[in-house]
Amino acid sequence: MGHTIRQVFRSGKFVVGFTILMSVLLVLVVYPWWVPEPPLQILGQGTFFPPGIYVSAYDASNAPVLYTLNLRDAADKRIESRLSQEDRLAMQEWLVADGLAESAIDLADTDALLALWEEHYEPDRRLPGMTFARMRYYQRVDAGLDSLRSAGGGEILAARNPETGELEETGMVKLTDYANISQVANVRILPLGTDNFGRDVLTQLVAATGVSLLIGFVAGLIATAIGLTLGLLAGYIGGWVDDIIMFFTNLFTVIPTFVLLILISFSIGQDQRGAITIAIVIGFTSWVWTTRSVRSQVFSLRNRDHVNLSKLSGHSLPRIIVADILPYIASYVVMALILQISSGILAEAGLSILGLGPRTTEVPTLGLMMNWAMIYQAHVLGNWWAYLPVLLTIALISFSMNLMNTGLDQVFNPALRD
Amino acid sequence: MKGRFTGLIVVLLIASMALAACGSAPAEAPAEEVAAEAPAEEAAAEEAVATEAPAEEAAADEVADANALPRNETLYFNGQQWGPVVGWNPYSGSNNNGMAISQSDNARVTMFETPYLYNMLDGQQYPLLADGAWSWNEEMTEITFKLKAAAKWSDGTPVTAEDVAYTWATHVKYETPTGAGNKDYIDTIEAVDAQTVVVKAKLDENGKAVNPLIVAAYLSTNYVIQKAWTEALEARSGGDATQLLADTAEDVVYSGPYTRFFADDTKVVLVRDDNYWGQDSSMWGKLPTARYLAHTIFKDNAAGTTALQAGEVDVSQQFNSNVQDLWLKQDLPISTYLPDAPYGIGASLPTAFFNLKSPGLDQLAVRKAIAIAVDYPTIIANAMTNQSATFDQVPRSLMNPTAGEQAMYDQAAVTDLQWAGNDLEGAKKLLDDAGIVDSDGDGWREYDGKKLSYVATCPNGWSDWQAAIEVVAAAGKEIGIDITTNYPEWSVYQTVVTKSDAPLPEGYDIFMMWSDGAGPTQPWGRVRKMLSSEFVGMASNWNGNWGQYSNPQADELIAAIPSETDPAKLKEIYTELVKIYLTDVPSFTLMYRPQSFHTVNESVWTNFPYDGDGTVPPVPPLNLTDGWSIAGLYNVTLVQ
Repeated sequence: MGHTIRQVFRSGKFVVGFTILMSVLLVLVVYPWWVPEPPLQILGQGTFFPPGIYVSAYDASNAPVLYTLNLRDAADKRIESRLSQEDRLAMQEWLVADGLAESAIDLADTDALLALWEEHYEPDRRLPGMTFARMRYYQRVDAGLDSLRSAGGGEILAARNPETGELEETGMVKLTDYANISQVANVRILPLGTDNFGRDVLTQLVAATGVSLLIGFVAGLIATAIGLTLGLLAGYIGGWVDDIIMFFTNLFTVIPTFVLLILISFSIGQDQRGAITIAIVIGFTSWVWTTRSVRSQVFSLRNRDHVNLSKLSGHSLPRIIVADILPYIASYVVMALILQISSGILAEAGLSILGLGPRTTEVPTLGLMMNWAMIYQAHVLGNWWAYLPVLLTIALISFSMNLMNTGLDQVFNPALRD
Repeated sequence: MKGRFTGLIVVLLIASMALAACGSAPAEAPAEEVAAEAPAEEAAAEEAVATEAPAEEAAADEVADANALPRNETLYFNGQQWGPVVGWNPYSGSNNNGMAISQSDNARVTMFETPYLYNMLDGQQYPLLADGAWSWNEEMTEITFKLKAAAKWSDGTPVTAEDVAYTWATHVKYETPTGAGNKDYIDTIEAVDAQTVVVKAKLDENGKAVNPLIVAAYLSTNYVIQKAWTEALEARSGGDATQLLADTAEDVVYSGPYTRFFADDTKVVLVRDDNYWGQDSSMWGKLPTARYLAHTIFKDNAAGTTALQAGEVDVSQQFNSNVQDLWLKQDLPISTYLPDAPYGIGASLPTAFFNLKSPGLDQLAVRKAIAIAVDYPTIIANAMTNQSATFDQVPRSLMNPTAGEQAMYDQAAVTDLQWAGNDLEGAKKLLDDAGIVDSDGDGWREYDGKKLSYVATCPNGWSDWQAAIEVVAAAGKEIGIDITTNYPEWSVYQTVVTKSDAPLPEGYDIFMMWSDGAGPTQPWGRVRKMLSSEFVGMASNWNGNWGQYSNPQADELIAAIPSETDPAKLKEIYTELVKIYLTDVPSFTLMYRPQSFHTVNESVWTNFPYDGDGTVPPVPPLNLTDGWSIAGLYNVTLVQ
């Protein structure tokens, strides 16, 4: 046994796959220590906040110490964030349409441009040929300029006096004031932003990966157990037992598994579909190929000398199967199990994308995350963080498992052995 | 042998093509009219495109052309038509014909026309087939209106009062959905002369109209259908109601500006009838701008949004989540009726109903605790992606968020009863005070020794509702009430929820349904459907009050409204009803929703209605097809 394991770990492919899978598992264990909140908690009011570091604006302006930094390009950056080159060109377009000569407009001179704009722009005027969407674009550009115009030395902070109800100045945030992020009371890192419910995608992704692995594991175990049992019986006993088992196996082979899966999930009804139920359904629909391959393996084993010897010694059927046949196909079964787990995860994702996965409130799964991202059109609106990490995770897990499988194959399959 | 076989195939092919050509026969009629009108069209055609083939040819390969419509003569839609068209029969309620047929408060008048057009922005009915305003007689038992002399059917015959009367008679005789819905309120519709119609209301024991509001609403809700065609339809269906309603009416005679051009399971196209009577100066004075109205049948919302982004859709009637991203992030020439959230005019109130027979939900404290604990700002920001007014902007009531309806009740009088949501402490206190506490320490409260455990539900795939229901369930967990969610398929959901003659089964403790939107009977119709006990025990209840709430005082107030004409008194009654609603909490509104979503892409067409566009009367954002919104079809122009 120890020798076998040592052999297995000498396979580069297996080691890489194994390391990936273990890293994923490690993250699953460690991450909740770092972010202990429940994965389905709604944090954001609004959908699909982009990935980044979120700093409380209130806490930042009220940080214990504000530092003065005189950065040369601060003013330019501030203006650029409000007034991009594209906006400037658009403003020029308007001014030219209003009758100004293009040469009279200096796009680089912000103050002059603003002055011209102030003088000529009318929010409700639609220039000939201008679409309504364009008119609204100009209104937005114009509204954005307000903060540029008002930014003199900074912004005054004010609070309402609880007695008089009047605004009273409580402080001033100058343009050169900076807060050190480590001193800001509330900073939240959302490495993968939020989803359509305003949930933290990364926290959800970690929890979902765990659930999906569990679904895959349960489904894989069930499928392998059924496949192994039927395959052993059909292969070893043969005769009419083989005929009956193969009849059903062939029946299931011709019905596309996924269609069967869809029909069963649909008929169970959503309120009954927990994560484990889905796992069981997947397990019970994907045992077919394991049965066939185990059966053919057993065929080649059952007339070996040691099996015949066992028979002659009067050993019982279960004992022969367990002691004389199983060990010879054990490595194959492990490989089959890995593939079954991997395809179980994929099957759950496939079902959930169709809206036939586990019901939504209790636990996140990879498929459900994809499903909601799709319903809220994340892929259409370019909110990649809601679905791409999920896709990559699924790919990574399948990849690692297939790598492990190939590695094992190389070790155990004499034809492939170096 | 082989050669002969090929020959046979060729013959068969030719035969089948010929048959296919015969199949498109109904579409030929409008094409001939195009030919007749060709000279008048020439100017437009010249500046349009070179693909403008002679009319004869167009008639020949019409069907093929539906996939190559000239872009600058075609206005593309999405979100109106899901699945293939079933029929063109204006008597039937199951045509699944989103471009041509919808008889509702804001009736779709592209192909068939109503006497009046309702304008949800000012609440007025404007004459279409009718000439001038309608009027009640002194006793308010009869409405009289005249028809325009210019109004013509597509076969050139005039639209007469006899047509209006016969349409109603047919609705009643064959028990169409329209007939069944109105026969308790409308007695007869009679033709006085060729142009004058009298609608007689059903009277109650006091000799007053049972419901004058519904009688008046009929005029802008239901189509006028040609008598001659109706008689032909009756003749071929042998007087059998089922057969009459199932007729697909390929040969139907219509009065509207557009007619059927092409329809299959990928696309529906209407073509302009250039003989349309409305170009008469007594109506529009011109033809609508776009020659074709086309609707590609999309698989789902995402496919529709993609087409909108690509400029393949001009007018979008579907929920585009985060619609502002289309112009803010993607810089597309796309806009909505309002520049900022909520982007459209809210008209209906998607509402969570309590099943009042569920154990514990008969207790006001439990209902109110759930209602005040729900995080409404999150529902509006996340589920609706801000495409709804917030409850801070428009406090909850039975009114939709339009200014007209908001003025119908006294907001100040119900301030004390309002809740903002997210009030977990308040909810817990309410339950504690009512003695509904967690006595066995499992974290969930009990009432009568039973754990409070509910299922919140809405149809599967209705994404904004599902997301909202998730937020409701989350609120329950915060206050010690176990709420889980469940999403049955719509086919199951609708049969269960609308069967009010039996108690709702398990799994329907808190469930979402809609309310009425904007219409001539509103807000009365909506209030009635939210509160009236007349829907308790109804076998097929498509109206409202699905939670089976019953309050005699509310019933009395609701019954008093239709015949009440004094605005001050009306306001008093409505305020009282809102008070009852907010006090008893039989259901709670989760969001506001527009009558139609209305997002436009100005890649090809422009001059769509927008807030403050200066149109008089204002054109409502109902996709240029519904009610007064059709006026927008005459305003759109090509982008220069």
